[in-house]
Amino acid sequence: MTWILPPGTSLRCGSLSAPLQVLRGLGGGTQGQVYEVELAGERLALKWYLPACISRDRRLPLRLAESIRATAPNDAFLWPIALLRPTPESAGLIRSREPGFGYLMDLRPAGYVGAHEHVGGHLAISLRNVLRAGFFLADAFHALHLRGLCYKDISLGNLFLEPSSGRILICDNDNVDVDGQDPGSVLGTPGFMAPEVLLGQARPGANSDLFSLAVLLFRLLTRHDPLRGQLELAIRCLDEPARRRLYGEDPVFIFDPADARNRPDPIEHAAALLTWPIYPEGLKALFEQSFCRGLREPGQRALTGQWRRALAAALDQRQLCPSCGQETFPEPGASGASCWNCGTALPAPLRLQLPHSQVIAAPENALHPHHFDPLLEEDLRRPLAQVEAHPSDAGVLGLRNLTGERWIAELASGERVPLEPGRTCNLAPVRALTTPAGPIAVLHPGRP
Amino acid sequence: MPFPNVRLANRPLHFLYLCDCSGSMAAQGKMQALNQAIRQSLPGMAEVARQNPEARVLVRAVSFADRASWHIAQPTPVEQLQWVDLQAGGVTAMGEALELVAAELRSPPMEERALPPVLVLISDGQPTDDFEAGLQSLLRQPWAQKAVRLAIAMGHDADLEVLQQFIGSDPGARGGGGLPVGEVPGASGQAPLHRPGKSPRRPLQASNATALAQYIQWASTAVVGAASMPASRVAGAAAEGNIPLPDLPPTVMDPTDDVGPLVW
Repeated sequence: MTWILPPGTSLRCGSLSAPLQVLRGLGGGTQGQVYEVELAGERLALKWYLPACISRDRRLPLRLAESIRATAPNDAFLWPIALLRPTPESAGLIRSREPGFGYLMDLRPAGYVGAHEHVGGHLAISLRNVLRAGFFLADAFHALHLRGLCYKDISLGNLFLEPSSGRILICDNDNVDVDGQDPGSVLGTPGFMAPEVLLGQARPGANSDLFSLAVLLFRLLTRHDPLRGQLELAIRCLDEPARRRLYGEDPVFIFDPADARNRPDPIEHAAALLTWPIYPEGLKALFEQSFCRGLREPGQRALTGQWRRALAAALDQRQLCPSCGQETFPEPGASGASCWNCGTALPAPLRLQLPHSQVIAAPENALHPHHFDPLLEEDLRRPLAQVEAHPSDAGVLGLRNLTGERWIAELASGERVPLEPGRTCNLAPVRALTTPAGPIAVLHPGRP
Repeated sequence: MPFPNVRLANRPLHFLYLCDCSGSMAAQGKMQALNQAIRQSLPGMAEVARQNPEARVLVRAVSFADRASWHIAQPTPVEQLQWVDLQAGGVTAMGEALELVAAELRSPPMEERALPPVLVLISDGQPTDDFEAGLQSLLRQPWAQKAVRLAIAMGHDADLEVLQQFIGSDPGARGGGGLPVGEVPGASGQAPLHRPGKSPRRPLQASNATALAQYIQWASTAVVGAASMPASRVAGAAAEGNIPLPDLPPTVMDPTDDVGPLVW
């Protein structure tokens, strides 16, 4: 990589009182290059644009300035912090015909990897954390859209995730704009673009974001593409015209209940066939909504709030197979469910009944404020309690109090036991818990 | 329990270098520069391959001098590739090199389904054999027609006309065939053609080792990326060819740029 800001450069910019030290190049593409920099003792990331990108997109500095003023919709965005133009004395240090400009943002923390690592099968991640990543993604778009903004160009390339937690980061936020304000220049990335945008009938906006979001969620959850089935196999050379047909002119969802033309091939598209049955019906219904009617009717696509609800509900349904240990998501109350992995019949699980919902007691399942209060939005950032297996006896399930307040556990015997902050109580003898957020009833299978 | 051990189905992306190893490449360290440029580009290429789960990037190389032969005959996953240095000596059997590639782009041995192949022709001179015949047999292959064909001219003795024929017509040049390659617009009395800057649809002129390394890196990363997983699109970008090519690398200000026509 040839760096237009050579490492070691000390750059002065109009809006900064201190010089910026370029430490090293982190990466680059056709838009620009990203560097690790130090400013007044703080490590930050700097994206510097290439002249070709600047000349193509005249509104870029305006959009960036507006985004910087507006600040990030939530903590999932690596949002621009400051727009930088070099002072005349520093402009000569930039090894490009035109000095151009860039913006500062936070560095991506260690532990976050590109979403393509997951889709490419290069990393180990639990189904729980994939669902959580999907939730955080829908949540980020929810916050963005509620601000009246749209992203325009989401793809695997600008999504990062932390496999150990499912937390996400969205970068390349430089196309973000007020929905419908300006046609802008970016159209999106084929495969993630809504058909009406790919065909040139519409410009990207909040409705096309919803399509891209559905594609991204599908790809995270299944490691497959929602529109690549038998119709793809008929294509020998997957080039531009072929992509246009597959994603724009004649798109068919591979699991469209009413149109079986594009079903996955058992060998070529095995990932889709294996993973799709894992997920609960409520979640699959949103994909069908977005990729069947929603393909041609942008107003029919599942909304960010619907995705959040369905993904949070799926996490509440999570149950471990007693035979193989795999994560399963049987329908609540359904009898006769079996493990998608090994086929073992799933026993009726221990459940936690909360004022507003029910959560299966499986290790790592968590209780959140929205479980107690119907007026609260789904949020996974501040869990109140988490189910845990006993460290030496995995068969013993406990509930850990993650709040700062004492809870009271009521045993089947009638005895009342305090549960201090940070402590875990064995659920087997417990009938109910009293917490400041509300009551928790423990529903034991086979007990009245 | 982990996510099931499945991954996105992918298609092969064949990347082929066609490298001129004629005697003139021995001069001024050109052969060494090319070996270095390719070797240096491999880690970046492997990284792009990993970022594109839809593609399985497989590399091969043909060298041509007195005869053309496979330098890397097996389609090799880029992360396993070890570049063995090419040696210069002989004449320029470019036509034969195209014949060799043509035979490999036939189906079979080509897979039934693939991504558009990428062919990169690098030369510093004129073919000494029947280039036309080689090009014809290459372009008879549907996979060669679909391929992204790039050419890099090393130094100023390369036959730009021949390299342009390999690439195909330049859609950026309006009004039919346009000017002969390399001709100064307006000098022939024809209406000047608008040709803004350099274009990946024309031979890329590497007049020094830095430029060569940049073009090789661009072809092995940005172009591989574009051919395997589509990049972000902007409105108004002309849909040229069957793969929209990424911007060329920025012209980095290099002191050698202004030194003169030839730095080899």
